Amino acid sequence: MARTSRPVSRRQAWWLLASVVAASAPLTQQIPLWLALAAASAFGWRALLTWQHWRLPPRWLRAILVIAGTVGVFMEYRTILGRTPGIALLVVFLALKLLELRAARDAVVTALLCYFMVLGQFLFTQTIPTAMLAALTVLITTAALLAASDDRPQPQQQLRRAALLLLQALPFMLLLFLLFPRVQGPLWGIPQDRFSAVSGLSDTMAPGSIAQLSQSDAIAFRVKFEGAVPPQSQLYWRGPVMPAFDGRSWRVVQTVGAYPAVPYSGSGTPIDYEVTLEPHGKFWLFALEMPATLPPESALTSDYQPVARQPVRNRMRYTQRAWPEAIAGRNEAPDLLRGALSLPKNGNPRIRTVSEGWRAQHGEDSAAILAAAENFFNQQLLIYTLNPPLLGADMVDEFLFDSKRGFCEHFAAAFVFALRAAGVPARVVAGYQGGEINPVDGFLEVRQYDAHAWAEVWIAGRGWLRIDPTAISAPSRINNNLAAAVPANEELPFLARADMAWLKELRYRLDAVTNGWNQWVLGYNPQRQRDLLASLGLKEPDWRSMTAVLSVLCGVVMLGLTAWILRNRLRVDPVLAAWRRFTDRLARRGIVWQAWEGPLAFAERAARQAPNHAGSITAIAALYARLRYAPDPQPGELIEFKAKIAAFQP
Amino acid sequence: MLVTLRHRLHETFVRWALRVRPPEPSPIILTQRRVYVLPTRAGLAYAMALGVILLGAMNYNLSLGHALVFLLAGLGIVAILHTFRNLVLIALRPGRCEPVFAGSPAQFALVLENRRPDARTSLRLFIGEQEPVEVDIEARTSRVATLGVPTTRRGWLPMPRVTIETTWPLGLVRAWSYAVPELDCLVYPAPAAKAPPLPWSGDSARGTTRDGRGADDFSGLRKHQPADAPRHVAWKAVARQQDGPLLTKLFAGASAQQIWLDWDALSGTTDGEQRLSILARWMLDADAAGLAWGLRLPALQLRPDNGPAQLAAGLRALALHDHGAH
Amino acid sequence: MRLPELDLILADVNRIILGKERPIRLSLACLLARGHLLIEDLPGVGKTTLAHVLARVLGLNFQRIQFTSDMLPADIIGVSIFDRESGTFHFHPGPIFTQVVLADEINRATPKAQSALLEAMEERQVTAEGKTRALPEPFFVIATQNPTHQIGTFPLPESQLDRFLLRIELGYPDAAAERELLAGADRHQMVAGLGPRIAPQRLIELQEQVRAVHASSALIEYVQALAAHTRTAPRWQAGLSPRACLALLAVARAWALLDGRDHVLPEDIQAVLPGVIGHRLKPADDTARTDVEAVAAALIEAVPLP
Repeated sequence: MARTSRPVSRRQAWWLLASVVAASAPLTQQIPLWLALAAASAFGWRALLTWQHWRLPPRWLRAILVIAGTVGVFMEYRTILGRTPGIALLVVFLALKLLELRAARDAVVTALLCYFMVLGQFLFTQTIPTAMLAALTVLITTAALLAASDDRPQPQQQLRRAALLLLQALPFMLLLFLLFPRVQGPLWGIPQDRFSAVSGLSDTMAPGSIAQLSQSDAIAFRVKFEGAVPPQSQLYWRGPVMPAFDGRSWRVVQTVGAYPAVPYSGSGTPIDYEVTLEPHGKFWLFALEMPATLPPESALTSDYQPVARQPVRNRMRYTQRAWPEAIAGRNEAPDLLRGALSLPKNGNPRIRTVSEGWRAQHGEDSAAILAAAENFFNQQLLIYTLNPPLLGADMVDEFLFDSKRGFCEHFAAAFVFALRAAGVPARVVAGYQGGEINPVDGFLEVRQYDAHAWAEVWIAGRGWLRIDPTAISAPSRINNNLAAAVPANEELPFLARADMAWLKELRYRLDAVTNGWNQWVLGYNPQRQRDLLASLGLKEPDWRSMTAVLSVLCGVVMLGLTAWILRNRLRVDPVLAAWRRFTDRLARRGIVWQAWEGPLAFAERAARQAPNHAGSITAIAALYARLRYAPDPQPGELIEFKAKIAAFQP
Repeated sequence: MLVTLRHRLHETFVRWALRVRPPEPSPIILTQRRVYVLPTRAGLAYAMALGVILLGAMNYNLSLGHALVFLLAGLGIVAILHTFRNLVLIALRPGRCEPVFAGSPAQFALVLENRRPDARTSLRLFIGEQEPVEVDIEARTSRVATLGVPTTRRGWLPMPRVTIETTWPLGLVRAWSYAVPELDCLVYPAPAAKAPPLPWSGDSARGTTRDGRGADDFSGLRKHQPADAPRHVAWKAVARQQDGPLLTKLFAGASAQQIWLDWDALSGTTDGEQRLSILARWMLDADAAGLAWGLRLPALQLRPDNGPAQLAAGLRALALHDHGAH
Repeated sequence: MRLPELDLILADVNRIILGKERPIRLSLACLLARGHLLIEDLPGVGKTTLAHVLARVLGLNFQRIQFTSDMLPADIIGVSIFDRESGTFHFHPGPIFTQVVLADEINRATPKAQSALLEAMEERQVTAEGKTRALPEPFFVIATQNPTHQIGTFPLPESQLDRFLLRIELGYPDAAAERELLAGADRHQMVAGLGPRIAPQRLIELQEQVRAVHASSALIEYVQALAAHTRTAPRWQAGLSPRACLALLAVARAWALLDGRDHVLPEDIQAVLPGVIGHRLKPADDTARTDVEAVAAALIEAVPLP
């Protein structure tokens, strides 16, 4: 109906302002400062406007402001498409919409835009606090929408009413969330800016790049083991394999899968587990060495690195199997081995001399050269530290002979260099080592500070062999953790430290909650939905059966809610209820009680019509009259009354 | 063309929706079957917004986006229930309807009864294209809503179909219902703007009034006023009271002014409605002047009298002149 | 808790006025509720006898005032006359200083005289020559009014009508009752032969007891619903006032006590409703004068018990 053209009242304006502020505040960090300030002043303007009864700004001024805002956003991002520019534009429109609240229609539009802004927040973060903030925004916006229809109730009352409505909407939300047929996104191309700022291993490794990661206690991934948790020293989470070296940094070569299935055969006891991987924007998937199965939509590179088809942009979950003792690459391709031997022409003369010495001594016996190298590293008395000194051009030499202090990337890089110089194919493998069991939920948490680099050496007849040079100098890093390995006076990320047990405990709990949230709320994807339905007995659910189940359940909830909403909250007086039963019974005999008829008058009439029940009818009516109209009806009378009616069979 | 088609479709729907032949017996209870619910324009916009949010949530795989859209969808469903509940099972009873002159709006009063223990908020009632009346009804009470309908012709005006609607609480859905309560408004003919002067005539029949301003029979006493003739002072009564006020004797008599308003006296005016208008004007003037007046219509005669009852009876006679039934 | 003395009183009155159980019961209820009674009926149907008999069996003294058009307030209230011997004014009380007053044909008197009576009824005291004199207790006025619209009468205005708790009609007796009346003994002698059944003090106690009759909240809701209906439905010109609701409750209490109950039932309300609303509620369609009983029945059937 076109009858809703009432002007927006002051109270409604306040409500809308509150909901716009609540919707925009969490996005302050995402939008440019100038826009945040402009939006804040628009809100202030609106507040003054409402408070002082000022007139709305003229149309031309609003038009100018809209154009200025749009141009500003374009200048800032050089586009108005994509996530962040889109949000920024939404802020512009919302702030200006507040300055043209005229009719009830504008109020509705504003509220709807506020709901959109909530979705905008989720583009950036979906943590529990974000969800709580979003819930608050939805509450205020709903209250604003309520106020748009009826602005008379007090704010608390309005909020209470909004909360009640949302509470009643909750069962539908749960059902739809669990059962609405899910589609794995994206439906169309996602603008590229989405994962610009995710930390994690990169596809190159220079001295210090992993040490930098070790300052972060962000979760890289979580693992749930099927059986017992393997010992720490076996937890090598294979990441990007880096065979290419340019004299300073190591680099990934293979990013495209070569094998759709694992090309080597397994041996030993398999380990089954499930990984929940945080998005890192790269292709690779982490797997316990050596991967025996591949997650869906992934393949194995010729470096035996599982890679996904798409960069990992969402938290993903996959089950995996590992063969800890598998031998891979027994018959390695020659050009790949050649690549694992390449070194720059110059540089690091000292280690080259040492390596050539091993070569001269052991000839083609790679295993002997490997043993010599290990022996050499052991004798050098290298120190494992988070704060290695800066290295110059011949960094391997400087590390091994001068500073003797380094982090895992120094160890791995030096070791691979030394072996290559001795003619043994070797490469750097980055990844994570270890992890910590969260005692609260039993998940193994692998954090960024667990990032690690080690070496892989190819020995004829045995294939690729994992050698961890760090373990030679600092075995506790591998057997225990980072904290045990670095000198005590070094600064460690908070969680990596051994002291502060209660804080750690607290953090564990928080992480368990976050993990639960990630697993069940954020990670609720088509796969999990299928699993859930399967566990409910719905095998191979297609969208049709899901829709059927969903509509049936929604119908049930709707009926329940309808009954609850339409229920007559009037607590039915037991006397009246019993009287109703009595008159209903008589009505079946054709003796209908008129709603205006007094009990005794009715009894007289009924007794005439049913003379053989006259006695009981009169007695019941007399009791009813007493119970309903007498000053002090006795409880015994009610019992007698009910008993008489129960026994009454006309 | 399109407008008329829409109008006709609407009328067909209303006829079907009302089912019973109007007017309906009182009380009219708006049962589930006769309350209709459809989204408003705001509701459609809301649904579209939800669709867009859902697409966004799917595209970016935002679990919380899904949660948001499902929560809002649930809110929409809950809004339907609440809006429906706000209207359903209201009992309507016809209220009072004072007679009006043709041309001024008839004020139909409807009693809306809320038997439920919570309030009903923001109900809108309207007739046709008239401005809606908005009412709230507190828990277990009733409210009277008065709906104006323009009148053009004298006679009985039955209350037209009433639409009662609400979009409370969220304005996303509209629940509405129709009712045709049994209520009639008596419409008097509009008093003529220009009328001949009151028909004084010498042969105005002698009769008796009871306003005590004649001169023949004693009918009582009242406080003396300076204008009263000295011979009417009740000296005996004054003597009986000590220092009481002077009293004047009142007499009933025929010399109080009295006038006949006659249909046939207006034979110069050919138009019957015009004659009725003039008679109505005369009645009002005579009443204002405090005259006792009588009315002669072809089928009806009123004895001379004055006062509101006489005026009501006279105007009613004019309103129903030649209308047969009623 | 039936009160036998009330039954005896009713039996006595019914013995003399035949076939009028209901109006007699209502009259007694009105008296017990400390209200005044208006009887609207033709002359000769037994109005005077009713008043007389009631006074007799209740042991109350009785006066009849015939209202005429030249009546002055002093004729009702009384007058002070200068007493030469003592040199002072001496108040001679009017006929109103009695326990049961029959104000016959009240609509014959001028409004001035009417209001003197009505004020006395309301205040239960009389103010004359600056002095206030209390009327006796109990004090009960039965006024009669001739319903036919006669010339030179002053029908009581609505506001004054409201001062009467009940309005009843006696009506003609039915054939059997009339035959008994004609064949039976002389009514005057019968009245003279009646003695008081209760002491005046006991009557006052009974009046107190009426006030104590319980009206439950359900019943009060019912009275409210009735009033609300008259206030909104198109059938009536103006609804029942709060005073009318109080009157309804008061009479219904007395009616319940006559029935030997300590609480009011909807039946009591319905029984006394015609008498209470007859002179208070005007149907909208005033031209067709409808029967009071029918009007009351329509009201009763329109309002369900809460």
